Amino acid sequence: MDIRERNEKLRIIHQDGGEQENILEILIDLQFASEEGYIDKETAALVAQELHMTETRVYEIVSYYAMLKEKPQAKFVLKVCNSSPCHFSRSEEVILSLEKKLGVPIGKTTDDGLFAYHYIPCVGACDIGPVVKIRDTVFGSLDDDKISSLIDNLRNGEVVV
Amino acid sequence: MALKEPVLLKRVEKMTDPTSVEEFTKYGGFDALKKAVIMDKEAILDELDTAHLRGRGGAAYPLGRKWRHLYGSQNTPKYIVCNADEGEPGTFKDKMLLEKDPLSVIEGMVIAGYVFGSNDGYIYIRGEYRHIQAVFHQAVRNARAAGYLGKNIMGIEGFDYDLHIISGGGAYVCGENSALLNSVEGKTGRPRVKPPHLADVGLYLKPTLVNNVESFACVSAVINMGGEAFLNLGTKDGGGTKLICLSGHIKNPGVYEVELGMPLDEILYSEEYGGGTSTGRPIKFIHFGGQSGPIGTSEQIKDRLYDYGDFWYNKLAIGSGAIVVMDTSVNAIDYMTSVMEFFVHESCGKCTPCRLGTTRLLELFKKFQRHGGKQGDIEKLEKMLEHITNLSACGLGQSVSVSARSALAGYRDEFEACIN
Repeated sequence: MDIRERNEKLRIIHQDGGEQENILEILIDLQFASEEGYIDKETAALVAQELHMTETRVYEIVSYYAMLKEKPQAKFVLKVCNSSPCHFSRSEEVILSLEKKLGVPIGKTTDDGLFAYHYIPCVGACDIGPVVKIRDTVFGSLDDDKISSLIDNLRNGEVVV
Repeated sequence: MALKEPVLLKRVEKMTDPTSVEEFTKYGGFDALKKAVIMDKEAILDELDTAHLRGRGGAAYPLGRKWRHLYGSQNTPKYIVCNADEGEPGTFKDKMLLEKDPLSVIEGMVIAGYVFGSNDGYIYIRGEYRHIQAVFHQAVRNARAAGYLGKNIMGIEGFDYDLHIISGGGAYVCGENSALLNSVEGKTGRPRVKPPHLADVGLYLKPTLVNNVESFACVSAVINMGGEAFLNLGTKDGGGTKLICLSGHIKNPGVYEVELGMPLDEILYSEEYGGGTSTGRPIKFIHFGGQSGPIGTSEQIKDRLYDYGDFWYNKLAIGSGAIVVMDTSVNAIDYMTSVMEFFVHESCGKCTPCRLGTTRLLELFKKFQRHGGKQGDIEKLEKMLEHITNLSACGLGQSVSVSARSALAGYRDEFEACIN
């Protein structure tokens, strides 16, 4: 971690007071700011030091909460809601469309490192199911065509998430 | 009869900037707070009792009773916590308040701060609502700048109260109040063993009030219109209006505000609300109040009133306000398998009956799905449901059986068809 990167991380850690209470927000913000979408070991150590916690405690939190990741992620992770309102609004077809379009099975990353997709529980957008969530953005009322153009647009930068 | 005037959503879509204090006050915002600070605290509690306001998170516990419990606690400091970890599938109504009228939630929380002489309020917003957290941060900053949060609120000497915004991290169990408090403290969000009650031993082991987003918004409504008028919007089993979330196979999905006691048929079929099914097939069943709520068969939901009392009497529940409609194409076993997959994913693993019970239940449902059931499997299912309910430590495990039992009661023939 170079000095600029470290300073940026310190800024995120202390932006809301740097209390242990803020640890989830801090870790999520750090993860969103990271290139590979996960909490690496060095970052976890820095959080532990700044919040006066042990690294073990930080990792306990990273591994417990579903939003936090311990391993590098694809650039765009498409999370398909599979809770019952979405499940019975054809969320499985979204998975099939993604498999067809991307050529990799669920849970695997495309060779260029750009895309991966998997199921997640309810994101609170049940009125527009089936939905895909990428970072903070929810894409709803999906069908095969919309998924295909979403992937194209993410690839060529026309849709920014 | 449709609601004449919205109570909870009266400002939604009217304000161009939902975080603006100026716009909020233009549409009656902070009127309740201004009224509350010149009221006797006991009188506020009386109004809440009269209103018969039930908690809107799902458990429907009378809010006035909860407030009195905390009010009676001698220990200090007291903490006010808003549970905005909306995670029950089929529920997305708190999201609307948090995003479109955040100051109404803040107002309710400040009134609580005043009643309990608290200096610190916390709002725990689910991690998936990260964009809404940003809106809420702005609303808090604006309220602070306008003197509705911080030191000497509204110029009242010693009325010091501020809000802390805490993010969730994607754990359904953190919607359970004690797990939520652990998460606020920067720990893993696993539930605590209760008793003690959170009003006695809560956040940082201090007396704590935990209420849902919509409940706090209702508090302002009660103060504004008076307990009696609020009660009259609903029924004797629960006053006020309720935000409902229509989803699944329904033509007009979304969030609506209805008076408690409205005919369920009107909610489901009138064009103003649900508009009937989206698929042309009839309704087979409805899952009420989230995954932890009961399933109501088409027979059971006929001629019902959307009312706490009428629902409970007929083995249904209002819960969070989720109304997930399923048409006749859906098999009860398939539906329950989907529900159980959710619980397996979200069980926190702290207690064995829930950790293993949800997994074993899912295996059994999948066996039924393959039509691989054996004689005695339905009885085994019933036993397992009894065990997980009676032995689990928190509300998550204890309510796993609710939907399964109601599915079994309503569609036993579909289960029996899976037995060889």
